[in-house]
Amino acid sequence: MKAVSIILFLTIALFASDNKDIMRAQILEKIILNISINETITVWSDNKELLAGFRKSNHLIISDICDKATVIIIENKKELNDDTCKNKPIFVLNYNLLKEVPKSFGAFFWKKGRPNIVIIESRIKSQNISVSKELNAYIEEKVW
Amino acid sequence: MVKKKEFIIFFLLFLLAIFIIYIYRDVTKAKNEIFDRIENYQIEQISSVLKNIEKDMVTSFDIKTPDDLISLFSDIDTRKKYEHIISLLLTSNVKYAYILHKDEKDRFRFLLDASQSDKAEFYQKFDVTSPEYEAIYKEKKPQLIKQHDVENLYLTYLYPILSNGNVVGIFSIDITTNIQKIILESIKPLETFFTVLIIFILLLMGMTITQIFHYFVTRKKIFTDPLTKTFNRNYLEEIAPMLNLKHYSLAMLDLDKFKAINDSYGHKAGDYILFRASMIFKESIRENDILIRYGGEEFILLINNRNNDNTNTDICERLRNNISNEIFKYDGNDIKIKVSIGIHKHPALEKNLQEAIKIADEMLYIAKKSGRNRVIIYDEKEHTKTSSSASSKDISYVKEALDEDRVICHFQPIYNHKNGEIFKYEALVRIVSKENIIISPMQFLPQLKHTNMHYKLTQRILLIIFEKFKYNQKTVSININFSDLINPDIEETIIKHLSENHHLASRITFEILESDEIDNVELFKQKINLLHSLKAKVSIDDFGSGYSNFRTIIDVEANFLKIDGSLIKNIDKNNKDFKVVKSIIHFASQSNMQTIAEFVHSKEVYEKLLLLDIDYMQGFYISEPKAFLVEKEELFK
Repeated sequence: MKAVSIILFLTIALFASDNKDIMRAQILEKIILNISINETITVWSDNKELLAGFRKSNHLIISDICDKATVIIIENKKELNDDTCKNKPIFVLNYNLLKEVPKSFGAFFWKKGRPNIVIIESRIKSQNISVSKELNAYIEEKVW
Repeated sequence: MVKKKEFIIFFLLFLLAIFIIYIYRDVTKAKNEIFDRIENYQIEQISSVLKNIEKDMVTSFDIKTPDDLISLFSDIDTRKKYEHIISLLLTSNVKYAYILHKDEKDRFRFLLDASQSDKAEFYQKFDVTSPEYEAIYKEKKPQLIKQHDVENLYLTYLYPILSNGNVVGIFSIDITTNIQKIILESIKPLETFFTVLIIFILLLMGMTITQIFHYFVTRKKIFTDPLTKTFNRNYLEEIAPMLNLKHYSLAMLDLDKFKAINDSYGHKAGDYILFRASMIFKESIRENDILIRYGGEEFILLINNRNNDNTNTDICERLRNNISNEIFKYDGNDIKIKVSIGIHKHPALEKNLQEAIKIADEMLYIAKKSGRNRVIIYDEKEHTKTSSSASSKDISYVKEALDEDRVICHFQPIYNHKNGEIFKYEALVRIVSKENIIISPMQFLPQLKHTNMHYKLTQRILLIIFEKFKYNQKTVSININFSDLINPDIEETIIKHLSENHHLASRITFEILESDEIDNVELFKQKINLLHSLKAKVSIDDFGSGYSNFRTIIDVEANFLKIDGSLIKNIDKNNKDFKVVKSIIHFASQSNMQTIAEFVHSKEVYEKLLLLDIDYMQGFYISEPKAFLVEKEELFK
């Protein structure tokens, strides 16, 4: 019985953790699909699970290298070494990165267990990124 | 009675399962109550502290509008001061404590975050979805959010910061799942115990149900005759104690000349006829009548007469007509068959079911004797009731023995003292019990008198003897009643086997009981003549025991006269018996009959008989009956 309970618990835990990753990939996918830039969106991320998630849904064009991407999603600032990449539209996975990466136009992150989206108005304008109405609720004037 | 026991066990398990589920439900209810109580206690504590902070904040800084609150916390020192105060609420259970404010675009923003981890910036946007965040502004009362989708959070407590009756900000306290985990962990063994117990009980219930199911499947097999798909004798035995005979009439059905079908067309044809006939039986009766294959071609029909006392005759007549009108087609042959039926209309008047069966069987016997293909009804008013000493099991006992081939013959030598040779053997019926005990005929024959079973038994004995003596040179005597002799089936069997084999016929002696009620002397003579014509011999058995019609004895021209044992057994002591036996021997000699003395049980009797001119002797002194044919060397041992 105990063994059954443990297996059940692990399965649920695993499922929950998978769910969180899947959910993040889905939200990000929706965000990317609701923005438009001057060229075709090709996404690169330092988070491999995220890329794998995008690949599964097949809605986004994925690039394995930062150079060929048109939109970059980063979790870790250190991964952003290449100068070419630094100048591309960047979406971050941490609120604080918005402050640290000047080119970052938006963030998706978990705050106190809840999913949060922030899109910085001035940065999207400066990078000629337009966002659909659906994302209006998340647009902020600045990074606080 | 496995079944009853199993039903009781199942019922008890069912009650136990309900009881356990009730307890389990109570435990779960108690768990929720514990949750609620702890929750309320904790909320109360937090609420009192927040109330004090709110009071201090609003009064000390004269907060009137949300903007006042924003400007208050814009100051980093004030913010840090209140973060410090609020952080005192943080425990292992209280994970986050912060103040929110709703801006003009209805977005919630952090004004202060006292949390140790995942700290938010001042005025950072906070995306919330729960309707309670809006509700608190309308209701101006604390709100409690039960978290389901937020990781590691169990509750969020929202407390309004009120000023002049308006909500200017919200205290938001996130409570972790720790407390829930602790309660769950402490209650888990109890829950596991109940879960295991319920599973165990359900398993037991499942096993009991399986057993009950198997019982019904097996029961159906046990109580159903595989060939005719009717009930069998086991079923009759099972229902007998519960059967209310007042509601039934009892009919015995027997297919006429069924043996001839087996002999002429083979057993497969016989089985087919039985199957088809039983189908016709079933179609001719009603749903509440019970048809039982009693054995062989014999059926018992329990006719429900609750509504109409005369239905039994109607049903039996219908059944007889339906069988009679049917042409059974088998292997290109058109086979006709008839059925004889004996009915006991009121079996409840008998001591028990077996007695009723016996009477119905007697009626069947009469139906057969009267030319077959008819229904004979027992009228209890015309029959004097005699209490039979028969054991109620006897008729079924013989029936079962016949069906299971447990009817055998023992053979007692009849000794010719003049040449020291065995003259012939007398065949004597025995039944081998299921426990392999040899049952003597005294225990079952008297009860069979005037029943259909009697001539079935006789017929079987005839077949055993004909088969055994067909290929040897020995001579054998067979006991037969007058009633058997006039039975058409028995007559047919005798003719069939002896007319084609004169060698066998010449070695067969039919010993006819002199004491038997010979009500039709002419018919008796006719049947004896038939035996003579087949070259078989005739012996008058037990001569001197009953009424002696010397004329008839002379007329039938019997070959042998067997003097009754009652005259022989004391012949060494009783001079009168000696004289009677001497007269009989003289009469036999004059009538051209040879004499046989039975019951020669001692040397004295044997020697006394030597003084008379008796031809043959038999008895335990010479040899007891054996399952095999003893040789002369075995005699007098």
